[in-house]
Amino acid sequence: MRRAVLALYALLIAVPLVVIVGGSFKTTPELFASPFGPPSNPTLDNYVTVLTKQDMLRVLGNSLTVVAVSVPVTLLLGSLVAFAVARLPRWPSRILFAIFAIGLAVPAQAVMIPQYVQFDRLGLRDSLTGLILVNIVVTLPIAVFILAGFMRTLPAELYEAAELDGAGPWACYRRIAVPVSYPSLAATAIFLIVMHWNDLLYPLLFIDDPDKRTLPLALLDFQGEYLTEYPLLFTGVVVASLPMVLAYAFLQRHFVAGITAGAVKG
Amino acid sequence: MNRRDLLRLATGASAASLLAACAGPGGDSADKSGKSDTLSFAHWRAEDKEVFEKVIAGFTAAKVQQDISPSNDYQSTALQKLRGGSVGDAFTAFRGAQFLDLAGAGVWTDLTGQALVQKYEPALITAGARDGKQLGVPYQLVFNTPLANTDLISKAGVNAAPKDWDGFLSLLDKLKSQGVTPIAWPGGDAANAGQLLNVMVVNNAPSDDALGKIETGEHRVTDDWFLTVLKQYQQLAPYFQTGATGTSSDAAVALFAQGKAGLLATGSFQVAGVRKLGATFPIDLLAPITTTADKAKYEGVFNATFILGVNAKSGKQDAARAWLEHLSDPAVAGVYANGTAQHVTVKGVEYTNADLKALAPWLSRKTALAPRFQFSNLDVRGAVENATVQVAGGKSPEEAAEAAQKVIDQKK
Amino acid sequence: MIFFKNWRLLLFAAPALALYGGFFLLPAVQGLRYATTDWDGYSPAFTDVGLSNLTDVVSDDDLFRNALTNNLKFLLVVVLGQTALALLLAVLLAARSRASTALRALFFLPTVLSSVSVAFIWKFVYDPNFGLANSLLGAAGLDRFQSAYLGDEATAILWVAVAQIWFHAGQMMVIYIAGINQIPEELYDAAKTDGAGRWQQFRHVTWPMVAPATALVIAYTSLQSFKAFDLILGLAGNPPRSSLDVLSTRIYTTFTNSQLGYAAAESVIFMVAIAAVTLLQNRAARMVHG
Repeated sequence: MRRAVLALYALLIAVPLVVIVGGSFKTTPELFASPFGPPSNPTLDNYVTVLTKQDMLRVLGNSLTVVAVSVPVTLLLGSLVAFAVARLPRWPSRILFAIFAIGLAVPAQAVMIPQYVQFDRLGLRDSLTGLILVNIVVTLPIAVFILAGFMRTLPAELYEAAELDGAGPWACYRRIAVPVSYPSLAATAIFLIVMHWNDLLYPLLFIDDPDKRTLPLALLDFQGEYLTEYPLLFTGVVVASLPMVLAYAFLQRHFVAGITAGAVKG
Repeated sequence: MNRRDLLRLATGASAASLLAACAGPGGDSADKSGKSDTLSFAHWRAEDKEVFEKVIAGFTAAKVQQDISPSNDYQSTALQKLRGGSVGDAFTAFRGAQFLDLAGAGVWTDLTGQALVQKYEPALITAGARDGKQLGVPYQLVFNTPLANTDLISKAGVNAAPKDWDGFLSLLDKLKSQGVTPIAWPGGDAANAGQLLNVMVVNNAPSDDALGKIETGEHRVTDDWFLTVLKQYQQLAPYFQTGATGTSSDAAVALFAQGKAGLLATGSFQVAGVRKLGATFPIDLLAPITTTADKAKYEGVFNATFILGVNAKSGKQDAARAWLEHLSDPAVAGVYANGTAQHVTVKGVEYTNADLKALAPWLSRKTALAPRFQFSNLDVRGAVENATVQVAGGKSPEEAAEAAQKVIDQKK
Repeated sequence: MIFFKNWRLLLFAAPALALYGGFFLLPAVQGLRYATTDWDGYSPAFTDVGLSNLTDVVSDDDLFRNALTNNLKFLLVVVLGQTALALLLAVLLAARSRASTALRALFFLPTVLSSVSVAFIWKFVYDPNFGLANSLLGAAGLDRFQSAYLGDEATAILWVAVAQIWFHAGQMMVIYIAGINQIPEELYDAAKTDGAGRWQQFRHVTWPMVAPATALVIAYTSLQSFKAFDLILGLAGNPPRSSLDVLSTRIYTTFTNSQLGYAAAESVIFMVAIAAVTLLQNRAARMVHG
């Protein structure tokens, strides 16, 4: 019974993925003629098309740029707030925490309209800078939650020796809180990477210039006007997912810890 | 000045600009046009990309980059993008709502009197004119009329297009008895599901602008003529492929291309896609005549769309106009037409593509300008088209019409 | 100027507060202003319409009500289905073994994909003529269960819920596994001495002991269900038809229909709906746990 349930669910997860990967090596007529069989005549044409004609390399570069900037900045700002939350007296700490807690309960879809106008007026809308900025503010609350949850558990004694030596809050943050919180920071980083890498809402809303598209948006654009080519779509899915899946394969434990921390705290 | 003052200053200044940016509705967005020497040509036809690259290669006045988004996105976001000026020095627009919205936002530049306008069939570019000004030129001439696999149809024993509704239903019966799906219809794809509405409406409607009058409130979808349309969808439902309301455009095209369906209820713009999937059978157009033969005004539906224009917010208007002139050249238009298997509105184009030649007689037939694009409110259009999908899915025409009318009353 | 000890720590929070306040809280509040206008989003001119947008959204808008209903259906199915599935998988995989580690990794895998990718995968699964679901049913001789899936007016949103569960059940499973692994072994031993079978062990030990995990899973799943924007846009196209419309896509469609003021009003009601659901859940949780 146990085995049957697990095997069934394993198939449910694996079969669609295998079909998609297989489909990326087929031509469109072959896909429609035999959607599920192995590719009879495997072709790399779809990959060539996606990587060259669809500007996927540029798009990948954009996604990398966004993640490379927005994740570290969110981590830095979030950990500073978390440190303050952990070290402030009771009421200021609670208020500070509550301000960010609001952001957890409000999904981005509820504030996207006024944000659109605001970023438009500031000239930040159709730019990677704007995308980075909006990623940061939208995910700051989650980062604060995960990190504050951890830093609050650190005993005050940890800092006492340093403070006796005359270390200020900045030194305490940098020399003690950050190194000790390393696992928590790593988990948060992974959660943020997955969030920012996969976000569609803001690129869809903000980005006009095709040269500034990120992966999910480019993928959505694969649906052509009168004919969607499924094999190309599948190839796009594979190309867009591969970096995350590879990272997951190698850093599995950290991924699980990170994404779960986001869920637990977010 | 010490660090803290600097910080205070920085936060103060940014707070002020933030507040200004949030000051309230109205006002303009940040201007950031003209950032490079490349001309941006915005359109929605990803499948034309390669042909356009060929056309671009023959254009020497400027570098042209195609900025393509899928049609539904283009429909909903082009206005916002174009008025910013960062995309689409030269651009295209759908006939109807989008053309008018762009006109309202002042995005078109007036082309009246330009030499390039003279290169088009005057009757076919009226969709690009407003208040006596030629704001844009529709480039493509497509037939929003179902495609027919004439091999299958003659195998079913029918040699002439049915002249009335009963004849059409009997054709469908004969196709069905041959073991094929009579009509492949992409009911799951909003953009293409609505193409069928064009031919279903033109002969039933009391006037040519009847769909537009639904939006203004002069007509209602609960009126008899529209109920007739919905009831006819009900009659068509058993002839669609299984799961028609969930079928994507690509799946419908595949069914037709594989010879499993007699008709494809979209239009001539999908001929190229059908061929790409390897279909070799002859293709013609075949519209259901929804009335008796004597009441039928039209044999089919056409649309003049893909309206070319020069963006008034662009810093490269001269280059954009030169690009339009290039496209208007009959030889260039011929490359585009034959390469994409679509007719064009430019005069004197020689069609060499076999399918274009086969469909050429339709250029002189009695066809109506596609009425579906008379809607200017997406929610109203959605409500009307959704009612047809609901009826095909089994809902009663009266109920579907009533629900749709309620939405229209709220949204118009 | 010293209000309390360590007040300098507030400076640590200042940069984050400035950005988050300026680009998240401020627009959220500013949304209220837009909500009282008929601004189209681009014209210089607009009219103040007072509260009429808000009253229209609440009382005179079938499309919005339809999106709200769909959203609640979706939420209910995902919360119940995903939580039950995640718990089942967690119970089956809680014991450490090589096989269970491998299966955990597999079940978690969809979580790292983007919603657009997941949407495209499921679009193909659901294709009535060429898709995986109907083909498998046909091959198994279960033709009568074949469906139009996303094209079926009454059940379309539930099929999206299935895709959502496929996407995130593994993530919730991991939370449950962590919860189960914290249960002291002695509790099970005691239950076994009392002659409890496997179901009774689950009923009397596991279920009450994972209550905190359940609360977390449900809270997070609910919020996630409100955010199903990407998945629906990828599956249903843009704009989605009414049977697949949820609140977030409705707001986006209104916005693209050049009705920015009205979209802002819809956003305000959207926030109220989320607050209501959260409140109800807290109530329910308190009732369940006495």
